[in-house]
Amino acid sequence: MTLDSKIPSGPIQDKWDKHKFEMKLINPANKRKYKVIVVGTGLAGASAAASLAELGYVVEAFTYNDSPRRAHSIAAQGGINAAKNYPNDGDSIWRLFYDTVKGGDFRSREANVYRLAQVSNNIIDQCVAQGVPFAREYGGLLDNRSFGGAQVSRTFYARGQTGQQLLLGAYSALSRAIGKKQVTMHIRKELKDLVIIDGRVRGIVTRDLVSGKIESYWADAVILATGGYGNVFFLSTNAQACNVTATYRAYKKGAFFANPCYTQIHPTCIPVSGEHQSKLTLMSESLRNDGRIWVPKNQGDKRKPNDIPENERDYYLERKYPSFGNLSPRDISSRSAKEVCDEGRGVGSTGYGVYLDFADAINRLGKHVIEERYGNLFEMYERITGEDPYMTPMRIYPASHYTMGGLWVDYNLMSTIPGLHVLGEANFSDHGANRLGASALMQGLADGYFVIPYTIGNYFGSNKFDKITIEHEEFKKAEAEVAEKTNTLLSINGKKTPTMFHRELGKIMWEYCGMARNEAGLKKALELVPALREEFWQNLTVTGEGNDLNVSLEKAGRVADFLEFAEVMLWDALERNESCGAHFREEHQYPDGEAKRDDEHFTHVAAWEFQGVGKKPIRNIEPLEFENVKLAVRSYK
Amino acid sequence: MKLTLYIWRQKNAADKGHMEKYQLNDVMEDMSFLEMLDVLNEDLILKGKEPVAFDHDCREGICGACSLTINGVPHGPEKATTTCQLHMRKFKDGDSIYIEPFRAKAFPVIKDLVVDRSAFDRIMQAGGFIGVSTGNAPDAHSVPVSKKNADLAMDAAACIGCGACVAACPNAAAMLFVAAKVSQFALLPQGQPERKKRVLSMVSQMQKEGFGACTNFYECEAVCPKQVSVRFIAKMNRDYLCSRVTEAVEV
Amino acid sequence: MILINYLKSTILSKFVMAVTGIILVLFIIGHCIGNMQLFIGRESFNSYAYFLQERIGELLWIMRIGLILSLIFHVVTSIRLKFLNLGAKPKKYEVKNYVKAKLTSRTMIWTGIMIFAFVTYHILQFTTGTIYPGDYNRTDYYTTNAMSVKKLGSDECCTKSREATAKDAIINYRGNQYETAGNHPIISERHDAYGMVIHGFRRPIVAILYIIGMILLGFHLNHAIQSAFQTLGYNNPKYFNKIVVGSTVLSTLIVLCFISLPITIIFGLVGGGV
Repeated sequence: MTLDSKIPSGPIQDKWDKHKFEMKLINPANKRKYKVIVVGTGLAGASAAASLAELGYVVEAFTYNDSPRRAHSIAAQGGINAAKNYPNDGDSIWRLFYDTVKGGDFRSREANVYRLAQVSNNIIDQCVAQGVPFAREYGGLLDNRSFGGAQVSRTFYARGQTGQQLLLGAYSALSRAIGKKQVTMHIRKELKDLVIIDGRVRGIVTRDLVSGKIESYWADAVILATGGYGNVFFLSTNAQACNVTATYRAYKKGAFFANPCYTQIHPTCIPVSGEHQSKLTLMSESLRNDGRIWVPKNQGDKRKPNDIPENERDYYLERKYPSFGNLSPRDISSRSAKEVCDEGRGVGSTGYGVYLDFADAINRLGKHVIEERYGNLFEMYERITGEDPYMTPMRIYPASHYTMGGLWVDYNLMSTIPGLHVLGEANFSDHGANRLGASALMQGLADGYFVIPYTIGNYFGSNKFDKITIEHEEFKKAEAEVAEKTNTLLSINGKKTPTMFHRELGKIMWEYCGMARNEAGLKKALELVPALREEFWQNLTVTGEGNDLNVSLEKAGRVADFLEFAEVMLWDALERNESCGAHFREEHQYPDGEAKRDDEHFTHVAAWEFQGVGKKPIRNIEPLEFENVKLAVRSYK
Repeated sequence: MKLTLYIWRQKNAADKGHMEKYQLNDVMEDMSFLEMLDVLNEDLILKGKEPVAFDHDCREGICGACSLTINGVPHGPEKATTTCQLHMRKFKDGDSIYIEPFRAKAFPVIKDLVVDRSAFDRIMQAGGFIGVSTGNAPDAHSVPVSKKNADLAMDAAACIGCGACVAACPNAAAMLFVAAKVSQFALLPQGQPERKKRVLSMVSQMQKEGFGACTNFYECEAVCPKQVSVRFIAKMNRDYLCSRVTEAVEV
Repeated sequence: MILINYLKSTILSKFVMAVTGIILVLFIIGHCIGNMQLFIGRESFNSYAYFLQERIGELLWIMRIGLILSLIFHVVTSIRLKFLNLGAKPKKYEVKNYVKAKLTSRTMIWTGIMIFAFVTYHILQFTTGTIYPGDYNRTDYYTTNAMSVKKLGSDECCTKSREATAKDAIINYRGNQYETAGNHPIISERHDAYGMVIHGFRRPIVAILYIIGMILLGFHLNHAIQSAFQTLGYNNPKYFNKIVVGSTVLSTLIVLCFISLPITIIFGLVGGGV
């Protein structure tokens, strides 16, 4: 199948404006005749729901949480990028575009990225107008900082809680729309399936997490803004409930899953402390602005960090990448950490950790400056580990954090299922093989505030819609399937809990499809995962009932989908026989350990097409063309 | 370490509910409080029993989903810490721990330790926003905001909407939650046009939801995981009184 | 209608609590200062009492009505809020610990009710004389120095006038001129408030009830004074700590002043001559 990305013609600077003009419009009076379902209420979902409601569409929004405000966008700490160039340091839309394409290791779609850079400035304006309390300077204007590998200061922030403040901004816009009865909000309802009628998505089936009721909702278009699948690793910085179910269900119904092997590992998380660990906590990457990363030069050096003299410390990032040093991109920092730990130079009780040291910064700037910049992060660290980072260096280790892969979408953010639009982390479009710091918030809000409100109108304007109801047989069929699956999960009566299966799956994925991958490992995992899945359906135990709030049943349903999805991810990692961005194949590296791309064979998007559970999906290709940024070896030396 | 847990179990909203005793033998001090409950739940499932339901999500202290009143204090004994960030090193071997849901008429129990906090959302829907539609915004630098006010607005905006303030308040008052939001917008120039209407609508909705009155115990501030100050309540009181006097609309 | 309507709003109710509370606190401070006159002596105390009762006319009743209204609003509002608050938390915790809420703040309604009972008793004893009529119906004979004056140019003999002093040989009084004619004591009667208090407090039960009542009042005020500032919107980190400390200092001072009377009286340090 050919994948039509529908990129408008013309110079890259004009594509979006041209496209906006060419897209069909819906008469204001007619907008209320169209109904949109938005699943997920994070940055992308909440901003889309609010913006579409403001335009006049009928919107129904869904979240499995008890409030839209709980979505995991809230946990983003560092900031949001925009090409405002307020600090006068040479930033521009073009530079943000260029940095993002380069950061994504030339595996993203130029046109999408350029549009993202273009609307980035509108996002900041919008958020400020909503009352988001960004950090300001004494003159009353907005403050910027440099963040995660950027050589300009283009990151806007609100202390260490930028994600929270932006989400609360979008949530307030959504609340306003709910208050005006423009949006019907459904809380504690989880998407269980999508309904396709006559080749177009026409609704969803959900399970009410409190009453267990299985319900159908129809619409003229469905938007999935359901986030990433990082929890496939069991341990990640994602929230506990984050799952792949919505996007995976769409995949099973015919949407293509693009680049699932692009999973980002975040270099600065608090290391694992034991088997009980339920999640990994991220420490904002901004810490790397002032912290220096090091390990002992000698293997097995068990001295306390402050007892190790300067000449026996290896500041390996500064040594290997002098121009970026501690601010090297995430994948490079992460892999370097893994390398030194694999050499036996890791620190902490598990040996999986490196030091992030603030002693120099405290000496240079004074404790109060460090406290002002990172006070809440330091407190958080101390709360979790019981160690005081002002006195002793932090211990950090990489953890799964963000997934660049996602459902394939065209320039209009529509998947291969007509009417099914995918926003934010759930789609694959803008970050290529690696996402730059402070770009996730930008993309989520760009999609929700400034892209989908235009493109969805084009979809409505270009198609005719028959009136349907939830009495349609496709809804009834989907409901019956969901009910049956729920009953199956409840009736296996085996000996292992959903969490045990999840943990096992996570170990396999982290081991063979984590920071570094190789052919043998991936092939092995492709045997282990189906075996585990088989065991799951025979040896699972779920207590309680289906018509009740049942936490283990919820978990079981999500793990079941992860067990199928993991295989797609492994296939993608195996067949992408190159290293690029966050996807590191050990077979493809330069002598110094740098990722070695194979532009000749892999300058494309791999979009996987479902063929049946356990069957190898079909790998479709969308070639990527770089007309504005020259393909180059990414070098951070 | 060994712990004795007394946990509130309640099948559903209609059930009366009761405290149930559980014994845990291998609790490690590096565990978070919720990881300790995970261990209990895994054990319960393997014994064929229903796990304890509790709200939680991000487990890094920001989403506001986790709740629990631990030994009579919402979010437990550690200052400025949500339940998910509370670690077992704050407890001793042999301790008894009482775990109850957040209690308030406006927060009805759904199951076990899970309560319905949608009253907060309805208060927000009544006026917790600046009415600016997408695309209407002027340039971000067109309105300067003094750093002092921006910082203060951020102090208020830090609220995670967990409801500990209500749970701790003997009157189940939601003043700290509402005041935080009202004050955030009242401190910013962008919030001025709707300032009076906002405080009147939000307070009115707060009362409709059945929250109690503030009697200035300051218990809310003491348990607030984000240390939102009661000074915002004072600020809201003044805003409300002025608005009641000057705003013609009876809300 | 507005007299009842405000109850619908918890913030307005609290505003009424704060304002009426402040009025009552101002009264208490005045009352307290007045009481301290007892230490100066019978003459001073009784003339203060006489001044309040006889010399300020309608102002006394205006003040009394103001106080009674404040008290009524204070009590009615607090009871209404208490029921509202009980309703807002129908199910209590099995175990409850407080981090910051003090005993004084949590017991406002109870100290309030007890203070109300005490005040009723206090008025029946000292204001209306219903409880110990014997103490109440005491008379204080007192003399004032006055001048005898004689109308200028007449033989009409001496009238006593307190307005006249020996300094002036001739004074103007009510349009006429008088000449002074020498000193004259005047003996008058007035209510012996001093004796009433001394005799009252010599009864241990009265003294103990009074001391208890005042300590409860102290508890109440300790929370109430700073609370009123918070309710009215005056809470700034710059000065709020001072308000909290000031609240404690003022309420303690008030309690000490009040209870110093029964204590000194029961130990015979004051009022020995009565």
